[in-house]
Amino acid sequence: MSAPMTARLDIQARVQQAAESLRVARVSRLLLSALACFVSVWAAATALDTFVELSAAVRQCVLPGAAVAASLMLWVGRAQFHAVTVERAALWIEERTPSLRYALVTAVDPRYAGRVPELDAHVNTHRYDDAVRSVLRGVLWGVVRRPVFVICGAVVALLLLPRGSVARVARPSPGDTLRREVPAVSRDPLATLVVVVEPPAYAGMPRTTSEDPSSVRALVGSRVTIRGRRGSDAVYATFDTTRVAAQDGDGRWQLTMTMPGASSVLTLAAGAHRRLLSLEPVADSAPVVVLIAPARDSILRRPNGSLVLNAELSDDHGLASGAFEYIVSSGSGESFTFKSGTVGATEFPGERKGHGTLSARLSIDALEMRPGDLVHVRAVARDRNSVSGPTLGVSETRTIRIARADEYDSVAVDAAPPPEPEKNALSQRMLLLMSQALDKKRRALAKGAFVAESRAIALDQTRLRKRVGEIVFQRLGESGGEEGDALDRRLDRPTNPDSVLAAADRATGANSGTALEGNADETPVVAVNRPLLEAYNFMWSASTELELGEPGRAIPWMQKALDRLQAARSAERIYLRGKVRAVIVDIAKVRLSGKDKGIASVRASRPAADPGRALRLTRFDAMVELAARLPSAAADSLVLLRLEVLAPDRDAAQKLEAAAAAVRRGGDVTAAFVAARRALAGDVERHAGISLWGAP
Amino acid sequence: MSADFTFCTVQYDSGDWDSAPLVPANLIDSVARYTSIRVAPTGVSVPLGSRDIFRYPLAYLTGHLPVRFTDLERRTLREYCDRGGLLFVDDHNHDVDGVFHKTCTDEIARAVGPMKELSNAHPLFNSFFTFEDGPPATSHELNGWGDNLIHKHLQAVLHGDRIAVLYSNKDYSSEWGYHPDNKRFMSVDNTKFGVNVVVYALTR
Repeated sequence: MSAPMTARLDIQARVQQAAESLRVARVSRLLLSALACFVSVWAAATALDTFVELSAAVRQCVLPGAAVAASLMLWVGRAQFHAVTVERAALWIEERTPSLRYALVTAVDPRYAGRVPELDAHVNTHRYDDAVRSVLRGVLWGVVRRPVFVICGAVVALLLLPRGSVARVARPSPGDTLRREVPAVSRDPLATLVVVVEPPAYAGMPRTTSEDPSSVRALVGSRVTIRGRRGSDAVYATFDTTRVAAQDGDGRWQLTMTMPGASSVLTLAAGAHRRLLSLEPVADSAPVVVLIAPARDSILRRPNGSLVLNAELSDDHGLASGAFEYIVSSGSGESFTFKSGTVGATEFPGERKGHGTLSARLSIDALEMRPGDLVHVRAVARDRNSVSGPTLGVSETRTIRIARADEYDSVAVDAAPPPEPEKNALSQRMLLLMSQALDKKRRALAKGAFVAESRAIALDQTRLRKRVGEIVFQRLGESGGEEGDALDRRLDRPTNPDSVLAAADRATGANSGTALEGNADETPVVAVNRPLLEAYNFMWSASTELELGEPGRAIPWMQKALDRLQAARSAERIYLRGKVRAVIVDIAKVRLSGKDKGIASVRASRPAADPGRALRLTRFDAMVELAARLPSAAADSLVLLRLEVLAPDRDAAQKLEAAAAAVRRGGDVTAAFVAARRALAGDVERHAGISLWGAP
Repeated sequence: MSADFTFCTVQYDSGDWDSAPLVPANLIDSVARYTSIRVAPTGVSVPLGSRDIFRYPLAYLTGHLPVRFTDLERRTLREYCDRGGLLFVDDHNHDVDGVFHKTCTDEIARAVGPMKELSNAHPLFNSFFTFEDGPPATSHELNGWGDNLIHKHLQAVLHGDRIAVLYSNKDYSSEWGYHPDNKRFMSVDNTKFGVNVVVYALTR
């Protein structure tokens, strides 16, 4: 390598070093500026919070917002991270060292590499290194000086500002309002309250903190801690005639109590200051137990087998255990014995399960029950309540009874058979289908087999006909014996419906009776039984044809018999009524607008439907007036009223709580008061009015 | 045409349309008793196929037997509902497996449209008296007669948010089928829901 080339590279390397130094300076300035932005936003927010209390939401946004601003600054200046080219660095040096007269720029230009040795000499003779070092030193300090000053100023401000405010902005948390420093002159110990509620461990609920609440709503047994700023007067709390002094420490007072089981008011007092806090306990609900199986009470024929038991359990704060309980009662009259037990006991350890299922099988054999004995089954569940419980939840009880031998004729034990006419209709339809199928097979079957099958159907048809005859006789009031045969004998093998009816009429001996409805010459017995008697006759014809091996000719008779049986079914529904005289309503009488015939009684307007509501409205109106003069007294009154309406009207209670909070906050309370009053007054029913739909 | 509200019972060719002859008088009595609506002292019976039915905002149809509308009746009913009328149908059988229910719902679906379950929060249940649990149960339901069911909802064909056809399986025809003079023997008047139906028909 030639000497000029070595010199040029040497110059190029030195300019490269300067370019790198320039890049470091630019990056340093950018990073320090971002840091200055972050710290100054933090300090500004802290200073603002010192004088004007910032809400928790705003404070939670401060540091993330500062970080975002710093990041944006870095993003906008991201070009500063790029390397500085040798040519730009040379130009930058030439700009600040005019005596070089562009020798440096030309020397690092690749186009003149090794061609002009005088340039290198010129650069070296002008003490390039010293000049560059001096220039860089000045530039470096110049670019970082401003952000460093800003950072130092912000840090000093953070050190000087109250520690509580710095922490409130750095780590905002619920209830940190007490960290703010307030002037001693305005230090009312009850002005700002922070209430921390720690639910019982069994509930597994998180600790909650609320600032300046009018009421505290918590699970019974929760640990309630009330804190405030310490003032000149000691703080006392009166609860249920008990007066307790608050503990002081670290510039605050603190009171700890356990949430009672009933709604009550906690009165806080400090010197001339008073403040009410309503305590609203939330009761732990008993587990809800639903017995799925057995689904209903039942009766068993025999005391053996087993019962499948299933239940679903649920609880608001977790289940502890569950089981099925049974009680077996035996005996009768004055002598009863009982035995009880549990099956399917299940624990729900570990995780706090709000839902669970129980399954078990209860052996009836093992219970050694006898006819008439009862077993009562129910599911029970216990929750995890270790404060006032555990609370027991029970399902409905199912009763399973073992039937006695003497009650087998009860429909409760044996299913009732279908009504006779319907059974006959089904049977007739089946015989008709069999006959049609047989008729279709006429060509395929041998004559002997065909006739045999036809006669078999005829036998069933005859049996069914006799059954219809029995029904007719049952309706006629005759009893026992072969009624169908009796009817056959009495009808003397009739051949047409008229002869059947005539014979039936003779058979009943009622032909001298008077008709109730239908034809005048028709007795009521025949009128009611006409469809069945006709079906009876058609069946006769059908069975005759079937006996002869002619199912094709029997089919029309069978169809007619089926039609008459259907008619008999339809005839079961009878609606008897006479003609009702038209009723003319005396409108004036109904509206009590007729002539007053008696002595006029003294009339007075009716009282309001809910006198308590009117009273509450009156009290509320007084509180509205009080709010202008004594806001804290009005807020306390609203709290008391809220406690009163909590049970009957939860919506109004919520609105009153909002109104009390608005009064304590100060400012415009109109909207909150309007909402509270509307809730107290109840809904107004709106009617669009009666339109004249049929106007003339 | 009169400005008085007149209770109208629908006649149809099939079935027993006049199976509840005391219901109109009973509801007229209740409307007079609880509201200031001008009401005619007697009801009228109007054939469904007649143009006269358009004179009445509310038409009541009931029966036990199969309901089969003629083409004219079907057309008239469709036009009646389109023009703002309310047809109140009550199954006198109280039987979802009965012929009245099956045939009548079929006919209504063909004439007006398919019915759907009416929400118990529908304005009908607040139109005059408030029925928070929806349609009041009838003694026929509670006694296990008919289909042995307590129907929790009514059914309806809605035109927009307006009821065009209100259908009940609860057998109000039996529940309200007594002489209005006997209302004084009842501790709770069971016809109040009928007033809601009348007021709804007149105001929507």
